[in-house]
Amino acid sequence: MATPVNELSYAQAVGELEQILALMQSDRCDIDKLSAMTRRATELLTECRARLTATDQELRTILSQLENNQ
Amino acid sequence: MNEQPRECYSLLQLQQLLQDLIAACPMSRNVWITAELSDVRESGPHCYMELLQKDPQTGATIAKARATIWGNVWRGIKYPFQRATGQPFASGLKVMVRVSASYHPLYGMNLNITEVNPSFTLGERERLRREILMRLKDEGIIDMNKEMELPRPCLRIAVVSSRGAAGYGDFMNQLLNNGRRLKFSVRLFDAVMQGAQVSDSVIAALDSIAQEQENWDCVCIIRGGGASTDLDGFDDYRLAANVAQFPLPIIVGIGHERDTTVLDYICACRVKTPTAAAELLVGLACEELEALRSLGASLLQTATDIIGGSRQQLAYISGQLPTAPLRALQNAERRLDNAAMNLSRTADNGMMPLRARLDRIADALKSSSANRLTLAIQSLNASDSLLKALSPQAVLSRGFSITRIDGKAVTDAASVAPGAVITTTLASGTLTSTVS
Repeated sequence: MATPVNELSYAQAVGELEQILALMQSDRCDIDKLSAMTRRATELLTECRARLTATDQELRTILSQLENNQ
Repeated sequence: MNEQPRECYSLLQLQQLLQDLIAACPMSRNVWITAELSDVRESGPHCYMELLQKDPQTGATIAKARATIWGNVWRGIKYPFQRATGQPFASGLKVMVRVSASYHPLYGMNLNITEVNPSFTLGERERLRREILMRLKDEGIIDMNKEMELPRPCLRIAVVSSRGAAGYGDFMNQLLNNGRRLKFSVRLFDAVMQGAQVSDSVIAALDSIAQEQENWDCVCIIRGGGASTDLDGFDDYRLAANVAQFPLPIIVGIGHERDTTVLDYICACRVKTPTAAAELLVGLACEELEALRSLGASLLQTATDIIGGSRQQLAYISGQLPTAPLRALQNAERRLDNAAMNLSRTADNGMMPLRARLDRIADALKSSSANRLTLAIQSLNASDSLLKALSPQAVLSRGFSITRIDGKAVTDAASVAPGAVITTTLASGTLTSTVS
């Protein structure tokens, strides 16, 4: 069973994404596993993106932080 | 009640006195002095500033004077100075200038600068910096922070600056209003960013960050330029050694475009201004987002290609299905025919030489047996003649006879006693006689 994405470091997640892509691009890609791989990749991508970008709520908190600083 | 003084000047009188004194003193004109620049500002063609001297131990200002460079002189100083020293004639610099003092009752003391010696400024800072860098190098720590890479992603930023420092606000604005919703988390570790306390104060801030280093991706030491710039505090061995050995990568953005401190040479990443530090961080995070986007696009494309390819393959196969068995049969038939043809051709080809060889052997046999027979017959014929010639009958016919006693041929006359009866065989008939 793969590690839950939220327990991975960002670098691990990106590393796994690259691995999945390489596997899909290789001749050994098993079409039976394609949907599982795509699902995992999507999870990883969503997690990585979530770590980089803020939700509306978070954005408000961050910007209020800016106002408090000034 | 106090006694009325005998003599009392007006303020102007006193100041005119000072003015005269200074004007009369030749030592106050065209004299080279060293000082630190502060509040340098251009106004019209002229350049105005404060000249300072600080106590090297405490950093407290111990002397201060207004100074001017008039336009006609300033034109000849501004760019040559910048070219020679690599930095603009700006606040915080130690300079050697030729001045003439003057005193004005309304404006007070003023030093009029007529010449600047750029090699002093260059030499002073360079000497100090080189000394520090050499020492760090000797201790083997000079590249430690420099060789650290900013982590991916780099979003948790510990800032060493002062709330009031010019540039800190710009940095925060630039970083947090990044327009890409990048999730930076920033905390200020307040430090004194000018004057003599810079080193101690920044080191203390760094120590606090080090205690919770797992919470941070990198450190930004930032401050803008400004009126009372004094960057000399950053050219300090202890501070430099701390930065060099710090366990997180440090981004240094101190001062204006041209300002340099010793920290610029030893930090993981050097930028020119606080704003540039924020731009760098935003840029890195955007690159990260872009890398994710491109990874996602590649994954999508690849998955689509694989599914598309498989679908095509299936379509091809199902198109082939109805005609495939028939074609397979035809193919098999054709293969059989070919095989049969090949077989017979191969058999023929194989037999031909064998047959030829048999034929040759038969011929050879035939001719050789005939010869042998002839020879044998000839030889037999020859033997027959010889036999005939040598046969006793032939000899007898030629007139010879055979004499026998008791059936034994007599070959010696002495062996025959008188009275013996001998039988003589002739070619034709036999004689019996008694030896006398």
